[in-house]
Amino acid sequence: MQFREALRSAMTEEMERDDRVFLMGEEVAQYNGAYKISEGMLEKFGDKRVIDTPISEAGFAGLGVGAAMTGLRPIIEFMSWSFSLVCMDQIVNNAANVRYMSGGQFKVPIVFRGGNGIAHQLAATHSHRMESVFARIPGLIVVAPSTPAEAKGLLKSSIRCDDPVIFLESEKMLAETGSVPDEAEYLLPLGVAKVEREGSDVTIVSYGRPLQRVVRTAVEALAADHGIDAELIDARTLRPLDTETILASIRKTHRCVIVDEDWGYCGMGSGILYKLQKPAFDDLDAPIEYVHSDEIPVPFSHPLEEAMLPSVDRIVSAVREVCYR
Amino acid sequence: MSAYVTMPQLSDTMTDGTVVKWVKKEGEKVRQGEVIAEVETDKATMEMEAFDSGILAVAVAKEGEKVLVGHPIAVLATGKETVEEARAWHQKQGGATTPAVTAPPVAVPVAAPVAADDSKTEMEENAAGEVEKEQPHSVAVMESPRSAAGSSPASAPPTKDNGDRPQRVSPLARRMAQDKGIDLNRIQGSGPNGRIIERDLAQTSSSAPAAASQAAVSQIAPGKKEIIPLSKMRLTIAKRLVLSKQSIPHFYETIDVDVEDLSALRSQMNKRLAKESIKVSIGDFVARAVVLALAEHPALNATFDGSQITRMGDVNLGMAVAIPDGLIVPVLKNANRLSIREIRQRSVDLADRARAQRLKQDEMTGATFTVSNLGAYGIREFSAIVNPPEVAILAVGAAEKRPTVYNDAVVARTMMTLTLSADHRVVDGATAAEFLRTLKSLLHEPGMLVA
Repeated sequence: MQFREALRSAMTEEMERDDRVFLMGEEVAQYNGAYKISEGMLEKFGDKRVIDTPISEAGFAGLGVGAAMTGLRPIIEFMSWSFSLVCMDQIVNNAANVRYMSGGQFKVPIVFRGGNGIAHQLAATHSHRMESVFARIPGLIVVAPSTPAEAKGLLKSSIRCDDPVIFLESEKMLAETGSVPDEAEYLLPLGVAKVEREGSDVTIVSYGRPLQRVVRTAVEALAADHGIDAELIDARTLRPLDTETILASIRKTHRCVIVDEDWGYCGMGSGILYKLQKPAFDDLDAPIEYVHSDEIPVPFSHPLEEAMLPSVDRIVSAVREVCYR
Repeated sequence: MSAYVTMPQLSDTMTDGTVVKWVKKEGEKVRQGEVIAEVETDKATMEMEAFDSGILAVAVAKEGEKVLVGHPIAVLATGKETVEEARAWHQKQGGATTPAVTAPPVAVPVAAPVAADDSKTEMEENAAGEVEKEQPHSVAVMESPRSAAGSSPASAPPTKDNGDRPQRVSPLARRMAQDKGIDLNRIQGSGPNGRIIERDLAQTSSSAPAAASQAAVSQIAPGKKEIIPLSKMRLTIAKRLVLSKQSIPHFYETIDVDVEDLSALRSQMNKRLAKESIKVSIGDFVARAVVLALAEHPALNATFDGSQITRMGDVNLGMAVAIPDGLIVPVLKNANRLSIREIRQRSVDLADRARAQRLKQDEMTGATFTVSNLGAYGIREFSAIVNPPEVAILAVGAAEKRPTVYNDAVVARTMMTLTLSADHRVVDGATAAEFLRTLKSLLHEPGMLVA
């Protein structure tokens, strides 16, 4: 099943299961989805539950928050998470805070989802990696699937979650295929990381698109070409981060490399590193390494865009450094 | 090629020195052995000689400037490079007095012993004349700054790894050292900036007896082979041993010694010394006996350079120590002036530092007689190879209960076999035999060892 189909399947199942769930965003209905994620859903559910919007993120994000506060369970699709920059107030000040500020009188069971990060030549304004921006906000849950199975299982759980979820996909992963369990209720827990590959020499932590794009390849290269047996951890949820799983791994391997595509300073990986360094301190034989994108505005030129991203070589280098090899 | 001249350790207590006067100026040609500077130490002002010929490219230390032992004071251009190239090389190393230049981040245990052995070779080559020419400073800078650091770590308080910098240890290694009771001061870190890391501890045992050597033995799988290039230390050992066997006509004499009474004395002594945490071994008694016997048989406490024999008034006892991948012979200076307790303490210290590659230059040279002891391994008897320019070496086997004739009956007594190897050019069979006879009587009736 394709990643996009997995997303569609999750939304469809949840909408069938619960009348209050609806989908809203640019091109989700009549166009069948800007990236064909919601293909066929308008036909299936009608225009009261699959709703097109004008280009007005602040408007429909706010509409979603209001709907969630008054009993519905909206899924708000952003054509790109870069566009969320125009509705930050709705997400950060309203969605995240309402439950707290209302003393629990309102809950906000909303899912904001869309393509995050660097895609292909979308340039500086449309290539934002928003995970670190939202992962620091109390009141939000931040999720990043890296396989079709995770797309389905995590999205279903996110829709059922009573708190606002920031669901980070990637336009470039939509065509990726993978097996998705057939079960009627395939749910993956939020806030739980997965040890995707067991190993003994180093703990590698990543998530979402970077994991899918380059980290898996790097892990294989490490084993095949360098004799380094990496334990690979897919964080899955970035807030709250499952530090326990990662720390247990570091206790075994004594070294850790975090990989993402964010900018390094105050990037997602730096937050993960912060959470790990003190509890893991006595188990570390080397400093925790963080491999990230170069700190530049994202170039339009494709070779430059490629060059700024973590490569297999850079990851291998960082791993070898912490292994002192 | 360019090399640093570093501040030599000219005395036990010296931690830094001052270049009082540059005798040679920057850009001046220098011949090996010529005085290049006057250096003031805590004890005296000494003349510092060039270890090689070349050009004094950079006077790193200024006149009157204090420089830590082991740190660069000049750059000597010894090859075809120009002064400018030497200067550039100096810049690349990080400039004037950066400690990092002399910090040895690599755990390769060769620098110090090689330097020592090179000095011995030098002595042989300069056979005519000074046999015991001590060259602490020139030899120390023979190779790269690394070897200088290899001989100078004792410059700062002996507990520090790199002289004036705190020890770098990964958190994991620190915890492991604590758990295993390993003294981090003895470990050479192989991580960046000399950081001690997990694998450095894996190669160390916490309280190694003198005999414990190798790291974990790696097994070669059937059908495979392992090719090991010779390390510098190995090469030097090989060279010297060949030299010894090719130039010295060895002969061997063996004697069995009843050390039952010596053993009893040892136990008795150790009961008393326990409160000082001192435990003397049979080897310490042997060392003491050797020293006393040499006083009566000076022909064996000598060095021979091929044309003349030099007999020494003091005994500088070489004590062979096994280290990973090789052997070092630290020298217990003036052993004849030491009590058994002192022999014990100093030889343990020398052995520990030998294993950590932290011997000073003058602790690796100048032996007049060597003792090699494989008793801890249970070896009954073996023959050692004479270390030129010495004329003899004693191989000590294990002290063990053996059936022997005592008072006309066959009983079990603690016996030990000693084998003397000697240079037949200058030592005769009778001389060697008399020495061994004295040695045996001292060990057999140990009262005289403590007199």
